[in-house]
Amino acid sequence: MLRDIKAEKEQLAKQGGDFYKTLGGGVWMAPAVDLETNSIFFVVGNPSPDLYGTERPGDNLYTDSIVSLDLNTGKYKWHHQYIAHDVWDLDAVSPVILTEAKGKDGKMTKVAIHAGKTGHVYVHDRATGALIRFSEAMVPQDGLWTLPTKEGAKMMLGANGGVEWSPMAFNPETRLAYAANLLQPMTYHVEPSKYPGGKLWLGGAFKTIPSEKQSGRLSAVNIDTGKVAWKFETDEPLIGGVLATAGGLVFNGEANGLFRAFDAKNGKKLWEYQTGAGVNAPAVSYAVGGKQYIAVASGGNNQIDAKRGNSVVVFALP
Amino acid sequence: MKNLSTLLISLLAWLCSPAWSQADMPAKAGVCIGCHGPNGNSTMPGVPSLAAQNSRYIYLQLRDYQEGRRQNDLMTPMVAGLSKDDMREIGNYYAKQKLTSKGFKPDADKAKLGKAKADETLCAMCHLGEFVGQNDVPKVAGQNFDYVVKTMHDFKAKTRTNDAGNMTSVASTLSDTDIENLAHYISGLN
Repeated sequence: MLRDIKAEKEQLAKQGGDFYKTLGGGVWMAPAVDLETNSIFFVVGNPSPDLYGTERPGDNLYTDSIVSLDLNTGKYKWHHQYIAHDVWDLDAVSPVILTEAKGKDGKMTKVAIHAGKTGHVYVHDRATGALIRFSEAMVPQDGLWTLPTKEGAKMMLGANGGVEWSPMAFNPETRLAYAANLLQPMTYHVEPSKYPGGKLWLGGAFKTIPSEKQSGRLSAVNIDTGKVAWKFETDEPLIGGVLATAGGLVFNGEANGLFRAFDAKNGKKLWEYQTGAGVNAPAVSYAVGGKQYIAVASGGNNQIDAKRGNSVVVFALP
Repeated sequence: MKNLSTLLISLLAWLCSPAWSQADMPAKAGVCIGCHGPNGNSTMPGVPSLAAQNSRYIYLQLRDYQEGRRQNDLMTPMVAGLSKDDMREIGNYYAKQKLTSKGFKPDADKAKLGKAKADETLCAMCHLGEFVGQNDVPKVAGQNFDYVVKTMHDFKAKTRTNDAGNMTSVASTLSDTDIENLAHYISGLN
């Protein structure tokens, strides 16, 4: 990752440290809670301004990080920053899952896992935050860490990642975590700008590349090994989320309205249904009178301009 | 200067007419009618309609005029005496007004090209689909064609810079033709 540390230090000396007041770092999604250790775990969004890093020298802690705090007091326990001084909007947004995975010593360990916009699934020791492993890349990473320019510098990952805020699902039987991916090559543009007084502060822009295809991918990652076990290619970039059932099914929806079921072990498509609008939310499973149902919102999405709708669609499992 | 005189005459004409006083309109919004029209529906091509605009966007723009982040010979003196509550009231009032059709007839081919450019440029990420706007990002669907063109040119020329580097960056990648096509698409939306 290219950083001009000398220039950052000079900028810090010149402007002082007050920029932390407008540094951003929003928490997008609900935290995970571990009552055994009285801990919460959450991931933190990007620093602000988004693409123009000059105004915010340094690592910009705790943006783009996974953080653990004491549940009762809020006292800091640990953090791990995925990208220091991010200038691509490749922040940490998909919610943390608490489970167990093989530690470096091969023994099952309590872990916190997160799917990054970077395109990796990260496995942390839940007690210390130590990074046990990160998966192989679920999506292509071309020109990674190319710095934004005024005219626009091409990079794949796009600004939605990797994995956006879509929650992963995990099946402890298959040992697989299921993540919704986006494949969106973009150009990154930087524009110097001062704090705009309460407005969205991008300090630049990202654009798609008309000649390059955008698509999506549902990836299944073994969290004990970091290997991608299977993947299913989709026409549209995936934003929404994934559901895994104890019965060995995985459910995921697409911006074109298709809602699908897969075999959790091998990714074979078992079923699909056209809901009529973008399926950009994770499905839920519940039972009534001993019968299992799957429900999903079909409402569309602005981030990828998926067709809007206003429905919740419910299916019964045989 | 000619434009300024025309605007001032229009403003005075409205202030002298009974139409300036509308039932639920904040008193300090009365002065807006002269240029922005009754209920915020501007009939001046280069002046934006405020009807149905996001209240926070209006509030922040008024504040930017007052604090010097945005400059305009007419608007800067208008906001000098406004408190933040005044600005919020004005924003809330115009957000509740109905945007009426200006009868703009977009060129279909140009609008199609404009839509494609909007998709490429990821306008919907901030302005949302159909350019309905959100929070501090303005609704521009159905906005006056001339104003849309002028605004994008102002961003491109950096004569308007209160956009946090977003629109100035985007506009720098647009040609004059792109801007015209985008305006046909945007102004033709309901």
